[in-house]
Amino acid sequence: MLRFLHLYPEHMNLYGDRGNVLALAQRAKWRGIPVEIVHAGPGQAIEWSMVHLVFLGGGEDVHQARIANDFYSRRQDLTVALTEGLPMLAICGGFQLLGHYYRPQAGQDLPGIGFLDVTTEAGPSRAIGDVVSDTTLDLHPGTLVGFENHSGQTYLGSGVAPLGRVRWGHGNNGRDGTEGAVRQHVIGTYLHGSLLPKNPHLTDLLLSWALERAGEVVPLPPLDDQPEWMAHQVIVARQKQPAMSGVRLT
Amino acid sequence: MIRLWLAVWMSRLAGWASRLTGRGGSSLPGVVARRIDPRVLSRLTARLPQGAVLLTGTNGKTTTSALTAHLLRARGWRVIHNHAGANLILGLTAAMTQAARCRIYPRADVALLETDEATMSRASLETRPRAVLVTNFFRDQLDRYGELSTTVAFAARGIASLAEDGWLVLNADDPQVAQLGAGLRRVVYYGLAMPSPDGASDYQAVDAQFCPRCGQSLTYQRRFFAHLGWYECEPCGWRRPHPDLAVERWNRAAGEVEFDWRGHRLRLPWQLPGLYNLYNLAAAAAMALTMGMVPEQVEAALQNFRPAFGRMEPVRMDGATVWLALVKNPVGFNQVLQAVSEEPGFKVAVLLINDRYADGQDVSWLWDVDFEGWVGRTGIAAWWVGGIRARDMAVRLKYAGVAESAITIAEDPEKAFASARQAFPAATTYVLPTYTALLEIRRYLARRGHVRHFREG
Repeated sequence: MLRFLHLYPEHMNLYGDRGNVLALAQRAKWRGIPVEIVHAGPGQAIEWSMVHLVFLGGGEDVHQARIANDFYSRRQDLTVALTEGLPMLAICGGFQLLGHYYRPQAGQDLPGIGFLDVTTEAGPSRAIGDVVSDTTLDLHPGTLVGFENHSGQTYLGSGVAPLGRVRWGHGNNGRDGTEGAVRQHVIGTYLHGSLLPKNPHLTDLLLSWALERAGEVVPLPPLDDQPEWMAHQVIVARQKQPAMSGVRLT
Repeated sequence: MIRLWLAVWMSRLAGWASRLTGRGGSSLPGVVARRIDPRVLSRLTARLPQGAVLLTGTNGKTTTSALTAHLLRARGWRVIHNHAGANLILGLTAAMTQAARCRIYPRADVALLETDEATMSRASLETRPRAVLVTNFFRDQLDRYGELSTTVAFAARGIASLAEDGWLVLNADDPQVAQLGAGLRRVVYYGLAMPSPDGASDYQAVDAQFCPRCGQSLTYQRRFFAHLGWYECEPCGWRRPHPDLAVERWNRAAGEVEFDWRGHRLRLPWQLPGLYNLYNLAAAAAMALTMGMVPEQVEAALQNFRPAFGRMEPVRMDGATVWLALVKNPVGFNQVLQAVSEEPGFKVAVLLINDRYADGQDVSWLWDVDFEGWVGRTGIAAWWVGGIRARDMAVRLKYAGVAESAITIAEDPEKAFASARQAFPAATTYVLPTYTALLEIRRYLARRGHVRHFREG
């Protein structure tokens, strides 16, 4: 049995990020692996040793600010668990909180737990549009597709690898071509879409990490992923049509 | 005066020219008018005896303004009304310049203007509205405005320019909308006073469940859908305002609704499906009553109302019924699925998802729609998916548990629709398109002679 923890689902639920949890759960169930999805909000106790994967989505700035301190207060236990191999996927605002800090346009810095060596500052404009990246993970095919919508500009430090390099789109900061970050089994990214349903190879990698964490050495039999790859391909194909802009700054 | 005259006439010329060249819905008339006289919208609305009324909010603008126009016309007012989709400043301007054929100032009593949230501030500043109606705030088109709180701020800025004797008509059941009336005197609230419906799954997309005043969690005594309901903030004491107009009972089978308007009982005929349409009706009735209509007039006027195109309008085709319902955000999509589940008969669905600018370029929102909760309850036997993002829709259905054999993909919306009709000619067909897909289907139906009227508003 796999237990997925969806952190702050009421605050951090922008842009369909719950689709990632739905995708993880379905792909486990289709292989006969039972799944339990648990939620935790601010102030609720979490027994990290019972959790096999953590998901944290993106949220509006005001909501992100409301959970940032609660998340920060969990940094010690969470860092231990992540270091021990607990897999985690964090999108957009969630990704930012895994870094050292998020500096908004106005007001105080939001502290992050610093597990990923990244920092984020609000930029003057929003990066909005389709993204195609070549991932640094050992995945086949090597592309990740999604949709970004963020004003935060994230820069990677030396202690972390990018999740991918953008072929198409803005990425972490629009300058260095990186998208997302990865350390051990922890992935931060700006990709919505939802990300996992259209990137089944990444979903299965996260599932294999979750199984490892649960101590179950179960191979993941292949599924018929034709519909998923067709949806993936719609975005990859756009890159070949230069008339369509992948990045629009508003 | 010459400048205004020129602005109006050049705008009309531009309108005729773009219609002649077959480009309906062009923004040219508005551009031309405002280029010649930037104050054209102000000048034209200022002359109307009842001034301008603005309607805004995420969902229900088009149906609510069509209903309100219908009600106000029944009381004998001449109403200027913009078309759905033409709800940015250029569209509002074009509606005013093209409202009369020969004279400069249209001979009308009131301009009823459906207004995009982001246009509220400017539209309000220019028209000094006598009334503003706000329906609801849901997450929608975040690729355009970024976040929901931005949208709420837009509407608040619009309200700041309300005429001094102006009225605000607000949905009491939406905390973010009701909050706009705090501290103001001339506010009319509407809301539901029925028992909570049976929800779908408990993993629904919820936008705002935090107190707009203090940021703490709201508790709900009743919840109608999404974040609409009877809420209260225990820490700061803020709660849903008592509505002036309350929907007390809805008998779907008999097609009848009962309202309470400040102690008066209204009994209205009502055929449209879905709780969301009930909110639209309550909003329009609240606006008409605020504008001085008497309850009996409202009751009489609703006997012959026809919905706007593509907003759950039944079209008879070869002996079967085809429903068209625009879908554009999670809450609206959930509501349409709920409405489908309440209708009887053998049903098939055609979901048409485009991702052009007017549709929203990010299709992530499909994952916030509660398909997990609804697919089993809708009674839909087969699904067709079409549009530019048909593949994403197919994946969404697959992960919600729809068998792949029950899903047919045909990217061209017309082909998807035709294929569904051909496979099940006797089935009730629910066509659920995004905005530009709705336009494609409408052109197709018009070519085949199935659309009686081109009214879009």
